[in-house]
Amino acid sequence: MSAADNKQSSYISDKEVSFKFDGKKYVGYEGDTIASALLRNNVKLVARSFKYHRPRGIYTCGIEEPNGIVQILNEHNEPNTRATVKKIYEGIRVSSQNRWPSLNIDIGSINNLLSPMFSAGFYYKTFMGPKGFWKRIYEPVIRRTAGLGKPPKEFRSKSIHQNHNADIVIVGGGLSGLIAARKLIDTQYDVLILEQDSFLGGVLRNLNKVKKINNKKPIEWIKETEKLINASKNIKILKNSLVTSYNFTNHLIALEDKCVGKKIDKNKPELTLHKIRTTHTILANGHIERFISFRNNDLPGVMLASSFEKYIYRYGVVPETNPVIFTNNSSTGTLLKSLVDLGHKPAAYVDARNKNKIGSKLLKYLEKNNIPFYINSEVEGCDGNKKVKTISIRISRNKTIKVKSSMLCISGGLNPDIHLFTQSKGLVKWDDKLLAFKPDVPFQNTITLGSVSGNYNYEKTIEEINNKLSFLKAKNIKLNIELNGSNNFNIQELWETKHEKKSNWSKSFIDLHNDVTTKDLKQAVKEGFDRIEHLKRFTTNSMGTDQGKISSINSLGIVSKILKKKISEVGTTTYRPPYAPLSFSAIAGRNTYEFYDPERKTPIHNWHIDNKAVFEDVGQWKRPWYFKKFEMESMHLAVQRESEQTRKTAGILDGSTLGKIEIKGKDALEFMNLMYTNAFTKMKPMTSRYALMLGEDGMIKDDGIVCKFNDKHFIVTTTSGGAPKVLADMEEYLQTEWPHLQVYVNSITEQFSTFNISGPKSRDIVSKVFTDVDFSNENFPFMTFKVFDYMDTEVRVMRASFTGELGYEIYITPNKALELWKKIFHFGKAYDLVPYGTETMHLLRAEKGYVVIGQETDGTVTPLDLNFNWMIGKKKKDFIGKRSLTRSDTSRDDRKQLVGIIPLDKSEFIEEGQHVVECERLPKRITTPVEYLGHVSSSYHSPNLNHCIAMAMIKGGNKLMGSKLFVSSTYGTKNIPVEVVSPVFIDPENKRLVS
Amino acid sequence: MILINCPYCGERDQSEFSSGGEAHVARPENSDHLNDKDWGQYVFYRDNPKGIFYERWVHTHGCRKWFNAVRNTSTDEILKIYKLGENPPSKESFSNTLKTPSGEPKVGSGNFTVKK
Ligand SMILES: [Zn+2]
Repeated sequence: MSAADNKQSSYISDKEVSFKFDGKKYVGYEGDTIASALLRNNVKLVARSFKYHRPRGIYTCGIEEPNGIVQILNEHNEPNTRATVKKIYEGIRVSSQNRWPSLNIDIGSINNLLSPMFSAGFYYKTFMGPKGFWKRIYEPVIRRTAGLGKPPKEFRSKSIHQNHNADIVIVGGGLSGLIAARKLIDTQYDVLILEQDSFLGGVLRNLNKVKKINNKKPIEWIKETEKLINASKNIKILKNSLVTSYNFTNHLIALEDKCVGKKIDKNKPELTLHKIRTTHTILANGHIERFISFRNNDLPGVMLASSFEKYIYRYGVVPETNPVIFTNNSSTGTLLKSLVDLGHKPAAYVDARNKNKIGSKLLKYLEKNNIPFYINSEVEGCDGNKKVKTISIRISRNKTIKVKSSMLCISGGLNPDIHLFTQSKGLVKWDDKLLAFKPDVPFQNTITLGSVSGNYNYEKTIEEINNKLSFLKAKNIKLNIELNGSNNFNIQELWETKHEKKSNWSKSFIDLHNDVTTKDLKQAVKEGFDRIEHLKRFTTNSMGTDQGKISSINSLGIVSKILKKKISEVGTTTYRPPYAPLSFSAIAGRNTYEFYDPERKTPIHNWHIDNKAVFEDVGQWKRPWYFKKFEMESMHLAVQRESEQTRKTAGILDGSTLGKIEIKGKDALEFMNLMYTNAFTKMKPMTSRYALMLGEDGMIKDDGIVCKFNDKHFIVTTTSGGAPKVLADMEEYLQTEWPHLQVYVNSITEQFSTFNISGPKSRDIVSKVFTDVDFSNENFPFMTFKVFDYMDTEVRVMRASFTGELGYEIYITPNKALELWKKIFHFGKAYDLVPYGTETMHLLRAEKGYVVIGQETDGTVTPLDLNFNWMIGKKKKDFIGKRSLTRSDTSRDDRKQLVGIIPLDKSEFIEEGQHVVECERLPKRITTPVEYLGHVSSSYHSPNLNHCIAMAMIKGGNKLMGSKLFVSSTYGTKNIPVEVVSPVFIDPENKRLVS
Repeated sequence: MILINCPYCGERDQSEFSSGGEAHVARPENSDHLNDKDWGQYVFYRDNPKGIFYERWVHTHGCRKWFNAVRNTSTDEILKIYKLGENPPSKESFSNTLKTPSGEPKVGSGNFTVKK
């Protein structure tokens, strides 16, 4: 008793291919899947189960496989590959998953004996405590023993996306799909056929059901049809393409495997994701066989009957010459016949039905061929060490006999593959004759043909197709289909057989992939989970990567019996895309390296690198964070040095990343007055102003400096990250609310490089660079700007400061920016001009009490909360967010307000993000909530004051000036005593700023 | 995954567009005369119906123009697209064509798969 080749199969070549499974070398044939090659080599044990680590074998012959899931070691360690789908090639290295140390001896299988602990809902019940157990014990243990394969390492996808527009898409190139295609040859429709296999033909190739089509062998008819399609002008075939999603508006996603049966070519895409739009979708995607639950129905050697038949025809391997067949319907008749025709003999034929339902023809056949058969009988269970050895058959109420065989082929019925149909939002209906759900009301332009529509009688397929496609006005086709065996399905309801408890090891599974037993289902219903959607989540039934393709309807059957309801009343769970797991790399598409997320660099970038800048990512921008004066200089030392030097002489920041928007037009002034809180009407030309932008809810959205050239021309700056949103908001208001305003807005962020030079010596430096410009305080006061020609280009210099020191912002075209930057350093050398980065910028602004949008503010802060009352044009009739500033909530005086805080003990440091509280210590065990006053938003060690300075947003902060509070810390329960002060720590009189 | 017919550029993939929420919510002109409740209504409250919804879209990665659309929120089907300033089509004009997936109720999750 072992496997044998079926030399008559014409789909597999005789070219030998060697491959490795778990380190051992085997030989298969070209065209074999991993599964068919292993079966050919009599390898039964291929996996360990998810929870209990039970031995498992190949169960099916396709995408529905719940057990045979393997890792491909030589393909960037690709995990969770279905052995029943993946084709072998010379040198492929495959390993099993979820076992340790080996497949044969798996320590995790102890879980099987601890199974009471792993019963339904165990995730919810078991891992509740004690504290710390999850992190230290449960999670590491679960991660090691449960789960799937290991993720690939250092994998760079080359997958691509492709778009299609078609009139008609045919899903499935089997009998129905091909008939539909033949009908559409040379019509006016653009047709796309999607076939998941590398061959067309489906059931015609896989099974022995159809004997002849128009007096031709099925293979001849398939070849003829493919030829006709290829010769047509309007039909295209995509093979190895699995439809995974059927979305709204007839949009389908299909995944094409470009490397079937061959090594991945490192220079070509391994997968193509097809995005398809169509007018009509023809679903001809067939059916999936379901199993039956009985004792140890998971033992290696148990296999679906039609899958067994498919191995014989599609792959030319008879997995076992003398298997036992167990069925509740007539579809297994052809398997029986196939084995006999090949000279093999089933060890037994077990049918749950009575004589009448089975039919005299089959009974006579069994008798004639001397096959032991048992009607009105069922398989009670099977036994064996890591594979089936004996099968217990209950032949009458009290009598069970044992039959020896290494394989058991089962069929619990056929389910129309309604997955895609329900994804498309079509309605299904329970069919009492087929005992399955079948499509009823389509929601989109969807037509179902063949067995997916519940038509299992191939003789009637042609009539069905001619009827359903009559609206397309294509020629009717005449086809004469001759069958092997009965056209009767005659199923009898059977979901689970009654079994005797033999040992703790005995289990009857309902979900092989997630290790859910029929006992778990019953227990869950007892615990009150009687709604199918709840039951699914509580037991994890049909939640594995196979989505319970061979078993989910069985669970409905079992549950309906417990609840004493009809299956149509129990309902089915929702089918969601994808139909089968697809690699993330297919969705993500080609790895484009640095082009995936472009890096934005300022014109000064290379200079920064030469001067040992350490960079920080601000959106897509690379900004210098700090500059190392020498290799070993720490960030803290560098920032302290940069800050000190800037206040002592001068420092310069590359501010090119700052967002810039130009606003022009007849009504620019009115527009600016509406967009910003400030009043711009009385503002003089060639002056600038710090401005705030709010949302309609009154919360600060962005800030920046507005330069007014005249009433028709403004340039504003935005935060580095906020520029796209500010521009979009301006466009939105101009188009939707104020279309009468004649205003044009445009981003000029990349048209100008910006440098911020500040410090007491900055005037001396810029005077030496721009020798023609008068920088005196009288002629170039604070918050004014000048435009002049320099180096054959236009330069704009604005007197402004984000440090509190005397400072200038210089704007120049990026082409000349580096030249100017170097010039500034040339003249700045005499003043020890220091380049500084974003960290020093933050420190200096904090010393001066300037806020950063997104640091002090978080979308819940109004200008009033920051004491920015002076920035609000109260006399203006309207601006965005104005009305919200007087809402009862925004005008409360106990809102969180901006304050400065300093530690009472000047040697202590306050951490950003810590809570401000009133108590000196936090209780060891917190029984009632500790009242929280606010949080620390910014904190730095100020080199110029030599202690910690911090900003905080605290409730009613304005009234708390001078009071003593506490700030929590990451070290223990003792809080840091602090004093609430003004947030302006340096130069509150603005002497430095305006001098 | 739906196609949107930009009135300025033509049919383009949904990924080029951004949704701007409910349409025809005018910004109050004399907001200082509104009480907190009425102003709050404008700022914070939008409809979220199942079925016909008048909403705004912008062709962000295209012409950057705003326009209006009537969408069936239960099917994602866009029933009508019209420019800003044009009169919105009446709700009644869609009632005959309106369907919900699987004939599900007007309010609810939409997880209906079985015909009763
Ligand atoms: Zn457009």
